[in-house]
Amino acid sequence: MVFLIILIASFLMQLIAPWWVIVVISFAACGLFAKTPKIALWAPFLAISLLWIGMALFKSIPNDHVLATRVGEMMMLKSWIPILFLSGIMGGFVAAISGFCGYHFRKALLKKSAVKKELQSIN
Amino acid sequence: MLMIASSPLKNKNIQMKKVKALICLLIPLLLIYGFNTKFGQLPPLLKFLNPFSGFWQNAESSKVNRSNAVVLKGTKENVDIMFDDRMIPHIFAKNDDDLYFAQGYVTAMHRLWQMDFQTRYAAGRLSEVVGIQAIELDRYQRQMGMVYGAERSLEGMMEEPKSKAMVLAYTAGINAYIHSLSNANLPVEYKILDFKPEDWTPLKCAILLKQMSAVLAMGSDEFYMSNILKKFGPEVTNNLFPDYPYKEDPIIPIGTKWNFTPLRIPQAPQGLNQLSTTAIETKQKVDGIGSNNWAVSGEKTASGYPILANDPHLNLTLPSIWYQIQLHAPGINAYGVSLPGAPGITIGFNENIAWGVTNVAADVLDYYQIKFKDNSHHDYWYDNKWNRTTERLETIKIRGKKTVTDTVTYTHHGPVVYFQKPKNLDLAKNIPVGHALRWIAHDKSNELLTFYYLNRGKNYNDYRKALTFYTAPAQNFAFASVDNDIAMTPTGKFPLKWKNQGKFILDGTDPKSDWQGWIPADQNPTVKNPPREFVSSANQSSTDPSYPYYINWEFSSYERGKRINDLLSKMNKVTADSMRVMQKDTYSLFAENLLPGILPKVEFSQLNATQREALILVNKWNKFYNADEIAASIFELWSKRLFFNIWDDEFTIANVPMRYPSRDRTIELILKEPNAKWFDNVKTSKKETLKDLVNESFKYTCDSLERKYGSIGKTWEWANVKATHVPHLARIPGFGTKTIYNGGSKSTINAMSESNGPSWRMVVELGKTPKAYGVYPGGQSGNPGSPFYNDMTTTWAEGELYDLYLMKTANDQSAKIISNLKITNK
Repeated sequence: MVFLIILIASFLMQLIAPWWVIVVISFAACGLFAKTPKIALWAPFLAISLLWIGMALFKSIPNDHVLATRVGEMMMLKSWIPILFLSGIMGGFVAAISGFCGYHFRKALLKKSAVKKELQSIN
Repeated sequence: MLMIASSPLKNKNIQMKKVKALICLLIPLLLIYGFNTKFGQLPPLLKFLNPFSGFWQNAESSKVNRSNAVVLKGTKENVDIMFDDRMIPHIFAKNDDDLYFAQGYVTAMHRLWQMDFQTRYAAGRLSEVVGIQAIELDRYQRQMGMVYGAERSLEGMMEEPKSKAMVLAYTAGINAYIHSLSNANLPVEYKILDFKPEDWTPLKCAILLKQMSAVLAMGSDEFYMSNILKKFGPEVTNNLFPDYPYKEDPIIPIGTKWNFTPLRIPQAPQGLNQLSTTAIETKQKVDGIGSNNWAVSGEKTASGYPILANDPHLNLTLPSIWYQIQLHAPGINAYGVSLPGAPGITIGFNENIAWGVTNVAADVLDYYQIKFKDNSHHDYWYDNKWNRTTERLETIKIRGKKTVTDTVTYTHHGPVVYFQKPKNLDLAKNIPVGHALRWIAHDKSNELLTFYYLNRGKNYNDYRKALTFYTAPAQNFAFASVDNDIAMTPTGKFPLKWKNQGKFILDGTDPKSDWQGWIPADQNPTVKNPPREFVSSANQSSTDPSYPYYINWEFSSYERGKRINDLLSKMNKVTADSMRVMQKDTYSLFAENLLPGILPKVEFSQLNATQREALILVNKWNKFYNADEIAASIFELWSKRLFFNIWDDEFTIANVPMRYPSRDRTIELILKEPNAKWFDNVKTSKKETLKDLVNESFKYTCDSLERKYGSIGKTWEWANVKATHVPHLARIPGFGTKTIYNGGSKSTINAMSESNGPSWRMVVELGKTPKAYGVYPGGQSGNPGSPFYNDMTTTWAEGELYDLYLMKTANDQSAKIISNLKITNK
């Protein structure tokens, strides 16, 4: 669920917005819907890694990886494949941290209101 | 409830939660900042790597869209642009404005970053995008007056309605493209260096043309020569640095008549040359940038129509230096190469004529020693009185640092380049401190008009008329027409000078040392249809000493020119293909001249096994710098070391920058004065002879080749030692070519050295319809992610050429069209 929301929202938003909307989307999606910290970490990681690797391949395959190979060389790497994974994993990593933060942000706020509720019931 | 909630324990807990929430907000923000920002040389990591707007978006599909359309308000009527199978645009417009608008648009579409970066470089604005590391380079450009010159040049362009319209339409076309760009489709170099294109301006066109002058006409030896004169005196200086070479075959054939009455030549003032030297270090001068062009009359060709060939040599970079294009509109149908950033075609042909250029090493840059009243530099002594200097403020923006404002002092001669020199800038090494620069590129000019008329030229008279508008950088314009006229004209605005004015540093206080006027354009050396039935140039002396004016005392050495002339005089029934073969000729006259003087001096018995094998190879060598030739590698390094042995002891002295005598003079010395005192190494007590130097340099060469490439064999082959490659303009690793296996050397027609060589090769055979062939290293697109970025390099390296299509209409079937772009205004 969270995975799909992040995947679809990130795909659509990145067509018009800068790359860092993935941070906002992961944060919000996990903040609102993630049930466990594990989900908040893995769902955005997998969603963005897959999305970015997929999109990169969509551009790079018809190009015969000419540009990716040159960029690989620029970064002192021998081929385009490490660049592909670097892109996917870095994107996923940032999304994962954001999702995790989103989840704990909710927790921090939620627990505060939970305390309030508890006290109200005592009174 | 309130009491409990505000109890210290609960309060602390809520505080903790607040902090935690804040941290959870901060971390994502930091991530955004960290991965969206450039640190040092590293691109902003995720801004660059993400596949939606990062570099992946620049990966162009190898399949090309057949039909494209775009609406651009700036056009007047419909424009059709047809792209052929190498992505070369053929523009069909209905008026000149649309033609140049479309040229600007497609050039930007393929080369925007290159145009932007080159003009930033030339204008001294690199620090703005790459940071403090470029500051001395920027200062150099500002202090040489690059923008000052461009501003004067722009005045010239804007005064003439034709060139004004050209520049304005071209600029509008470029801007139409820039405004259509989203972040995702910015050229990839913008993403790596993390900056954005700004609007193009007519001034940028002018700056780009100034940069060509800087590349081709900024050579200056007078600082070195003045130091030599001071150290060795006039006799030795004249002996070692003669005003006309020992071996020469001038561009204008000997015996050509000068059909004019020359102007009076100004007199050299008395008491010249008591000038100071300044303490800085320098390095040996490297051979200049050269080019070849020639035109063969129909009398000598198989078809009966003339053939013209041209290959300008430059420091090669990717994206390709040139941009091929066809321009078709009422009154013009021309094909050729343009400079990205300047409208029109620079080298090319149309249905009636063909033209090509090589550089003229004219003496159009002089330094004047200035006497300032005091350290404020507000007044300088000239014409027996104090004169005010003017000041120009140069504001240099620096990425991530405070803006720097420098003041450049100008005399009537021009800018004083340095009062204090930068430590680590090679470019600045030949510049004397505290001297004013007089440079032709600071004068008002309008070179665009020359190309406007050449592109539309029909015959010899049109060619002559077009050249009268040309100022700098001076070029040898070769010409051929379908009427079977051929011609060659060293062209440029040449100052009227006394003989050798500017060989040494000039006295800035004496009005007699100023440039005294100009050689009239119609008195520039020229030759039309000479008896030998061909014309040629390869940067050698423009004329023999009978020409009444002084253009320069030294030009490039004669070897390439002589070889071209030798080959052409023997040829008959010339075809375009035989011209192509000539362009890749690697025979070295330098080796032919030098080897007989040194080979017999090598003592075989004193050599080790490797050295013996090397000597046998050089002995057997046919003097072609072929790719697989081991002897070429040995000879190249041997001659270099020998010249070093001869001259370095006398001409390299700390704090007195000098240069070596020329290659030509050195060969003369070796062949005709084998006992000259110069062969002795003055730094040793022993008395060395030429023979000692020849043997030492030969052994040294073999030993150093062995150290670097292992035992003598395949790894010693010339192509491997030379290691030709074409780097990216910003030296981005991976964005240049791989090492190219090819032959050629600086002194052969195929003048290919490490990464300097033929930047464009063209052969045009005129006729009822012209047949033309051409290639450059690289490709049409400037995008390293395009299949058209580097697709021509292999063909170029092998010395092959592509067919060039001069289409008659947009539907001409003779060209292999793979895509089209229709521009409409609504």
